[in-house]
Amino acid sequence: MTILENKNMGVIYGLLGNLTLTTNSNDISLVSYYKFKDTVESYLESDKALKSLKMVFLDATYLSKTIKDLSESEIKKINLAKALIANKEIIVLDFFDKGLTNKEQKDYQRLFKKLAENYHKTIVIYTNDVTFFWNIATEIIYVDNQKVINTYSKNEDIPNINPPIKELINLMRSKNLKIDNYKDTKDLLKAIYRLKENENEISN
Amino acid sequence: MPKLLTINQKEIPTINTTILYTSNFNYIKDAQEYIVNDCTVITKDTLKDLTLSPTLFKKFNCEYLINKEDLTLIDKIKINILNSLESSNKIYVFFNVLTYLDYEFKTNIINYLKENNKQIINYTTDIEETLLLEYLMVIQNNNIIMEGLKEDILKEEKILQKLGFNLPFIVELSLGLKYYNLVDNLYFNNESLVNSLWK
Repeated sequence: MTILENKNMGVIYGLLGNLTLTTNSNDISLVSYYKFKDTVESYLESDKALKSLKMVFLDATYLSKTIKDLSESEIKKINLAKALIANKEIIVLDFFDKGLTNKEQKDYQRLFKKLAENYHKTIVIYTNDVTFFWNIATEIIYVDNQKVINTYSKNEDIPNINPPIKELINLMRSKNLKIDNYKDTKDLLKAIYRLKENENEISN
Repeated sequence: MPKLLTINQKEIPTINTTILYTSNFNYIKDAQEYIVNDCTVITKDTLKDLTLSPTLFKKFNCEYLINKEDLTLIDKIKINILNSLESSNKIYVFFNVLTYLDYEFKTNIINYLKENNKQIINYTTDIEETLLLEYLMVIQNNNIIMEGLKEDILKEEKILQKLGFNLPFIVELSLGLKYYNLVDNLYFNNESLVNSLWK
């Protein structure tokens, strides 16, 4: 995996959906659906607990909560807070996006960008949802059946991965309509408008 | 809409229903209620003793899973679902699992259950999944914020936005196209939108 190429190599025993990461480094936190015991406060066990909870968009009321009070998504957020306290160089997120609303996904995209740019963290997002990482990832590693198939840079087209917008573009192309690749709904909307305008001009 | 059963103060209708929930909702209590009511409940939990049906695995292109070791989370979810398909229960409830699956597999499963006259209830935070079933209930902290046919609920862009949800891509696009007078209606799938634009 090129993104981890210059890191020490070894093994993380994987909870990851399709992949076991290999690295020797102790400088990695794995954020997953780990069900901790006791309260959030005792799990986080740090004077930075509240600050890290705020960074993951939770407040002080969560400190006294236990697993049974929390949703699946909140458990993952608290595990992310724990990783932020550990302050390791690499943070691996295991399907973190599942269970978040669209607004929360955007909030976390901004957080991951900030962690990478301002705190020099390497964030590895493990997911099957292209729309979650499309706008923030500097490198995309396509994995299938526990094998790395290919790596792509930010703006490269990834074959076989079709978010809804690409499905529609593919359908339009199959009907011989000339349409570029777009990642944003508004850009596609403008392109369809232009296409229809051109058609009208030609028919007039 | 006739009532199928009541789950923690929520009246579940007799129509295939998506329950769109905000991320602070803990669905465990609902899952327990459905189990008590003899529903087939699919979660990400560990696999129990399985009796695999090779025919079903073949039907859904999952033969490779039968003897696979080191199962991934996605493998386990697929096995859980395939293993449940021969259940005599009439009601199938999915708790935030379809979102992990590829579109083809999940639509094949939904279609199979519909063909076999099963009632489907899908709990999710993934707005795109609301297009799979006919009825939509939106909940926050176990309170129903709104419910109705998906065609009606997905018009409530402002309420959905307040809860943190976008519109599904195809609905958002058709809303924009409607604004530009390029289409007359909202569309819920690619084929019908493209056919409307280029008859």
